[in-house]
Amino acid sequence: MAEEFEPRIVAFLCKWCSSAGSDLAGVSRMEYPANVTPIQVMCSGSVSPLYIFSSFNRGADGVLVSGCHPGDCHYIKGNYYARRKLALTKNLLAYMGFEPARFQISWVSAAEGQKYTQIIKDFVRELKPLGPQTKLRRNGSW
Amino acid sequence: MVKIEDLRAEAQRLLKGGTVKYIIGYERPAGSWKANPVFLKNPEETDRLVWDPTCYHNLVRFLIDEKRRKAKSKEPDPRPVGVVVKGCDSRAVVVLLQEKFISRLDVYLIGVSCEASGVIDERKLERKLAGKKVRGVAFGPAGSFTVTTDDGTVEVPAAEVLADRCRDCIANVPVVSDHLLGDKTKRTVAKPFQAAEKVEAMAPDARWSFWEEQLGKCIRCYACRSACPMCYCDECVADSICYAVTPDTTAEEKAQKIKWVERSPVDSENFFYHFVRAIHLAGRCIDCGECERACPVGIPLRLLNKKLEKDAKELFGYDVGLDADQPALISCFRDDDPGDFIR
Repeated sequence: MAEEFEPRIVAFLCKWCSSAGSDLAGVSRMEYPANVTPIQVMCSGSVSPLYIFSSFNRGADGVLVSGCHPGDCHYIKGNYYARRKLALTKNLLAYMGFEPARFQISWVSAAEGQKYTQIIKDFVRELKPLGPQTKLRRNGSW
Repeated sequence: MVKIEDLRAEAQRLLKGGTVKYIIGYERPAGSWKANPVFLKNPEETDRLVWDPTCYHNLVRFLIDEKRRKAKSKEPDPRPVGVVVKGCDSRAVVVLLQEKFISRLDVYLIGVSCEASGVIDERKLERKLAGKKVRGVAFGPAGSFTVTTDDGTVEVPAAEVLADRCRDCIANVPVVSDHLLGDKTKRTVAKPFQAAEKVEAMAPDARWSFWEEQLGKCIRCYACRSACPMCYCDECVADSICYAVTPDTTAEEKAQKIKWVERSPVDSENFFYHFVRAIHLAGRCIDCGECERACPVGIPLRLLNKKLEKDAKELFGYDVGLDADQPALISCFRDDDPGDFIR
């Protein structure tokens, strides 16, 4: 029997909220799929659209960007900038015919370990029927 | 109607008085029916200036080179540069001013109004004339074009040869200028984003095949980047060979230069390049359409730029290149920006 497809997710988590939220999920022993590769960034506002596209280019099946709730940003307004930039990125990806479900954005606070696990569970569930991401993946032999 | 004598007289006045260093305008080289950019330093040369429907180049691009030249020169000439700008070009100046790339004192803008017309798409005209040789193109009555060929003169309606960008243009009159020529009546466009809407209306799979076909043609010559008045970075993230490396560059510094995208013209890298190019023009592209015109393989690049302009307008109420005092699109926000796509 063929093995079930396990999507690889790259998650850009902001240091102050979402990363702490994922930590809380960990120390609270909450279970969630092991498909995520977390990357800690200083702020969701520091996530360049380039990172997202690069992740897909190097073979990610899904990308998650997660930051503090609006109003809670450690740098006061970083996540507001992120919201604008990521809205444009998400729309542009969809406009090019790329599956919009492969790119998700969420607000997860340091206390929301439960929400974080739920987001990952939902994301993995949505990615499985889509299959491996091949549209933007670069040639493997490079 | 823009009178060419007025344009030449103004250029002569500026050069004679020494108000400007030089003037960037359009000329028609001998034997050609298309205009070319020209740099004029002598007041006697101003008779070479022309204004016709083939003046499609965005001369603002040359201000980037001018800035680099000025930065390198030991004794820079503080006088401004005179530039002939159309409506779209003036919006490019506004964006450069907004980004503080140039100062308002660096340029003297001679605005020319496109009035009810615009510039032609040379490819469309060549197709329309089916091999007949063009001798000249002039503005005709009511927005049409008067085309002179070997067989005589014909009136061509604007709809047939007008460049796509002019069809969607929201600034037929320059938004900023020091000396404005021609009629100042602004025209309104019912559907400025019609091209992007057509792509949006396709099914997602059809959209992907459309872009796969279009971007698959890309040979990565970077002509779109070179023609763009907004692409002024010294180091381009999409092109690893333009990273500045000198004998003093340490191995550590070199290691920090990330090769985000390969230069090979294969689909995955082409998508990456065009995505990066488009997103870097978000809220900056003023739709002068030079990228599309410069493209040797005919990729409809304006469709990407238009989509971002449309999103900027519809999601954030942001007009590109109309107000030099507003902050850039992605360096400002509103509390009520849409966030319904966020979980």
